[in-house]
Amino acid sequence: MADPTVTVVPAGWAVAAAGLLGLLAVAAAALDGFLTARATGAGPAGLSRPFGEVTRLMRQRRRVTVAADRLLWRIGGAGLLVMALLITTVVPLGDWALVDLDVGVVWVNALDVLAWAFVWLTGWGANSAHSLVGGYRFLAHGLAYELPLMFALVAPAVGASTLNVGTVAAAQRDLWFVVWMPVAFVVFCTGVLAIAVWGPFSPAVGADVAGGVTAELSGVDRLLFLGGRYALLAAGSAFAVPMFLGGGAGPVLPGWAWVLVKASALLGVFVWLRRRLPAVRPDSFLEAGWLVLLPAVLVQDLVVALVATGGG
Amino acid sequence: MGLTDALARAAVRHAHVLAAEVPGHWMTRVAVERQVLVRGWRLARSPGDADILAVCGPPGPDLRRPLAQLWEQLPGPRTRVEVDSPRAVLVALDAAAANLRDTAAQRVDSRDRSADGQRPNGGHTRDGDAAHGHQGGTGHEGTGHEGTGHAGMGHGMAVAPAGIPLAAGGQDRDGLAMDVLHLRLGPVLAYWPGGLVLRCALQGDVIVDAEITLVGADESTTTAAEPDGGDALRRFAARRCDNVASLLGLAGWDDAAARARRIRDALLFTAGLDRPAGELDRLRRIVDRSWLLRWSLRRIGPLAAPELAHHGLPASLGGDVRDRLLAMLDRAAGCLADRRPPNRPRGAPVEAIPDLVRGWDVATARLIVASLDLDPFAANAEVNLG
Repeated sequence: MADPTVTVVPAGWAVAAAGLLGLLAVAAAALDGFLTARATGAGPAGLSRPFGEVTRLMRQRRRVTVAADRLLWRIGGAGLLVMALLITTVVPLGDWALVDLDVGVVWVNALDVLAWAFVWLTGWGANSAHSLVGGYRFLAHGLAYELPLMFALVAPAVGASTLNVGTVAAAQRDLWFVVWMPVAFVVFCTGVLAIAVWGPFSPAVGADVAGGVTAELSGVDRLLFLGGRYALLAAGSAFAVPMFLGGGAGPVLPGWAWVLVKASALLGVFVWLRRRLPAVRPDSFLEAGWLVLLPAVLVQDLVVALVATGGG
Repeated sequence: MGLTDALARAAVRHAHVLAAEVPGHWMTRVAVERQVLVRGWRLARSPGDADILAVCGPPGPDLRRPLAQLWEQLPGPRTRVEVDSPRAVLVALDAAAANLRDTAAQRVDSRDRSADGQRPNGGHTRDGDAAHGHQGGTGHEGTGHEGTGHAGMGHGMAVAPAGIPLAAGGQDRDGLAMDVLHLRLGPVLAYWPGGLVLRCALQGDVIVDAEITLVGADESTTTAAEPDGGDALRRFAARRCDNVASLLGLAGWDDAAARARRIRDALLFTAGLDRPAGELDRLRRIVDRSWLLRWSLRRIGPLAAPELAHHGLPASLGGDVRDRLLAMLDRAAGCLADRRPPNRPRGAPVEAIPDLVRGWDVATARLIVASLDLDPFAANAEVNLG
């Protein structure tokens, strides 16, 4: 990079970045608790929910099922959180980033594929029928969302002619990518929801399979898995900011604040969507993924490529 | 000690409750659910998620074993309460909370349990050789092994790692050899008709064979829980709303399920009928308008006229799962509009369930069962009376 767009901060700041991610995740959980309590129409406001749940799960015994594959089970359960943390390393907070990877977009793409392994392993490890069915339901969703998600990430990279996340953000000084790549943005958001096993993509943990991959989780294992889902949702929203929402660009506030504001807003929409939409059954979504999302995002890529070569 | 107690109190404020409905006592279960939500607690989806096992109604002898198995699967701190009637809910849940907060008692409870999920010797060993403990071999119904399925696998296998027999093979739909796994759905399962037990043979997650039984069908308790006269209209409509809430919950639409639950509670616990009727109308419109629900549920479990006739099912169950969901809402709204419940008892389609779920995957089968608007025990009672 001839002209680095972001300043790389010392590695010690990783703790602060993890703290910020945790803050976003807790805020998301609190919002979810609030919305749930409001829909219930009774009981306390629900804002204390994340803290109460953490206390409850920390106090709970860690239960193990008969003949469980403990190692893989726990790798899967803790993996989502690790994934979320690794994604945030390349997200620039205004002018600062932990790592200024030349291939930051590919890095995130490689990480999001890990969700396949982690969610499925969590389902597999418990040695329980419902868990395993849940794990395979996630894979079925994965078959449909993964390719569209990859091509959705291609659009901003092509538009900015780089794979460096900071440069992608800088390329949106005049016009945010979300404005002229709306399809890629929507598909990206779909992918984030799917990775976080969230909302319409929750059949892997659905009530119809008794909680699916989470059916047998308890104590700290459940805490890590559920926390990982919120963290992934937060990391996905944060990554959308430099990719589609103009990075730190915005009036009055400094860049880092704008990144947080935009990420929180998108995260809020994700959390709100969960309650508003029914789950999408994996077999139906396969059809939508391959027949609608994939062609749509490919056309989007084509348009972006034509504009990029024509304008360049 | 102060910190431990403070943490315990905070944890118990967010307790998760698994409501185990004894057949015929759905009103008790509804009262428990309502009180759980009023307290800001949550309803658990599986025993692994629960702190409190609330048995709703006095359990019959054939429910003792499934309940004991469930109890073994609660991770702990845990507590179990029996709620005999809707009036006993407050006291029972208060007692449960107090018990959960009692860290010393919970320590004693957990000391007697083994850490690794193997069933402790001297537990409820039934079919294995007691001297061999959990290595007894056949039909091990291990702690938590099958999650909410709560059941042993096939019997009589020679090889049994950790006491669980390996799955036997069988031909699948395409004539390929494929493992057959036996899974029991019910009698206690979230969004599942209480007391219904569906024994499924699965290949992958597809049900290749199934048989149905009803447990805890005790005539005296059933009639005792459902007194005649009085609020038959409200109960009929509330039961439909309860079934709607289950179906919407299974479909993963939390907001709509919460709405149905609120209408149900308003019908059972408040005076006016106009507000719930209006809310029901709104819910009907919301469900009808959702294109995502329409697209997700379309073509699931279709029933045409000949099949309905063959299984002896009422005509109102025609169409796919979504049609039946709307019909359920219409039935509730219709009876509220007429101000009287339908007087003809609807036949219980329980015996038809195995045929209806065969060939579908487990999750879809759950949707199909929920769409049948079951009321198995009430219907039985009515049939037996007439």
